[in-house]
Amino acid sequence: MHIITHTCPSCGTVVAANELESDRVMKCPGLGCDTVLRFEDLPAEDREHFLENRDQYQI
Amino acid sequence: MKGVLLSGGSGTRLRPITHTGPKQLVPVANKPVLQYALEDLREAGITEIGVVLGNKGREEIQEFLGDGSEFGVEITYIVQGNPLGLAHAAGCAKDFVGDDDFVMYLGDNILQQGIGELVESYRAGDYDAGIALQAVDDPRQFGVADVDDTGTVTRLVEKPDDPPSNLALIGVYVFSPLVFDAIERIDPSWRGELEITDAIQLLLDDGRRVDSHVVEGWWKDTGKPEDILEANRLALENLDGAVEGTIEEGAEVTGSVDLAPGAVIEDGAVVRGPVAVGSDTVIGEGTYLGPCSSVGPNTTIENAHIESSVVIGESEITTSGKIVDSLIGRNATVGTAEGLLPEGRRLVVGENSHLRL
Repeated sequence: MHIITHTCPSCGTVVAANELESDRVMKCPGLGCDTVLRFEDLPAEDREHFLENRDQYQI
Repeated sequence: MKGVLLSGGSGTRLRPITHTGPKQLVPVANKPVLQYALEDLREAGITEIGVVLGNKGREEIQEFLGDGSEFGVEITYIVQGNPLGLAHAAGCAKDFVGDDDFVMYLGDNILQQGIGELVESYRAGDYDAGIALQAVDDPRQFGVADVDDTGTVTRLVEKPDDPPSNLALIGVYVFSPLVFDAIERIDPSWRGELEITDAIQLLLDDGRRVDSHVVEGWWKDTGKPEDILEANRLALENLDGAVEGTIEEGAEVTGSVDLAPGAVIEDGAVVRGPVAVGSDTVIGEGTYLGPCSSVGPNTTIENAHIESSVVIGESEITTSGKIVDSLIGRNATVGTAEGLLPEGRRLVVGENSHLRL
């Protein structure tokens, strides 16, 4: 299964795509980090894969 | 080598304790379970650690661990979100791990002897993965490894009816980055999770070498209340108690006692170790605190009888009834019903509680 993540450019915190997609826009969950992370930050290919296989990323 | 410490999961089997916090922060001998794993990694020389967070208890875990400096490590957080399986958790750590080998450690496991030998065994050979195993009485409840005479794993079987050995996989693994390719190639299992055993089996099918190390000493998965009590007993038996608090004259204290700063065992109390007593806790007159008990910080116990139990902390216990084999959550009050009419017990019990009266 293709696992998609995004790494915060400011603090290095890694966020899984399912988390990004559920919030679309979120404050980085890293300690003391104010960077805003967006689902759109993911490469287009990854976003497309995630949305086409969304069921795999739910539990 | 890096570390990946798994700290997700909903902790349903530890309810109601986990209604208000993650299972990894439940204390064993007054130390959160997660800290044992963190210290094992550090003692194995691994100080760059990715902590994988699930949907529950993230803030509490981040508040406890911080950036890791208090524990002598450097922590990067990895938010897995949905609990999609151990292989998914590992896969989420790919960017953090980069080209390094890494140890993956389930944050609700405690090993008596740490992971040093597992890491050494992996490093000593030309392996692509390593797994920690332990001999168990009923391997049908576990993932089981078939190993050859050299300790190299030949296959893995999940909860087999006819186990090829009694060697169960416990929650510690060593991987090379090759595992990420295997994870990409597996599909979710019938329960919707990406199984790490499937990824390891794929490595074996590819002809990769997987080391095994049979862990000596005890190992506990602390998923259930009885597991916490057992882990507490085992950890206390290993603990070299330090008395930093006060034992008043007239208190009767025997055995190993770990007494944190500010804790007091008052005149007239009886304490039989091994026990651990947290900071600013008072073991009052008329109390019997028996072997294999841990009482967390800021707790008052008076005229009570407690043994083989864990009191997490911030609590008050003044009942005259005997409390044994019990797990008592934070901010609990256990008083006496003596003298109250009508006679009977008075209970305010949260969801998913278990009582035997």
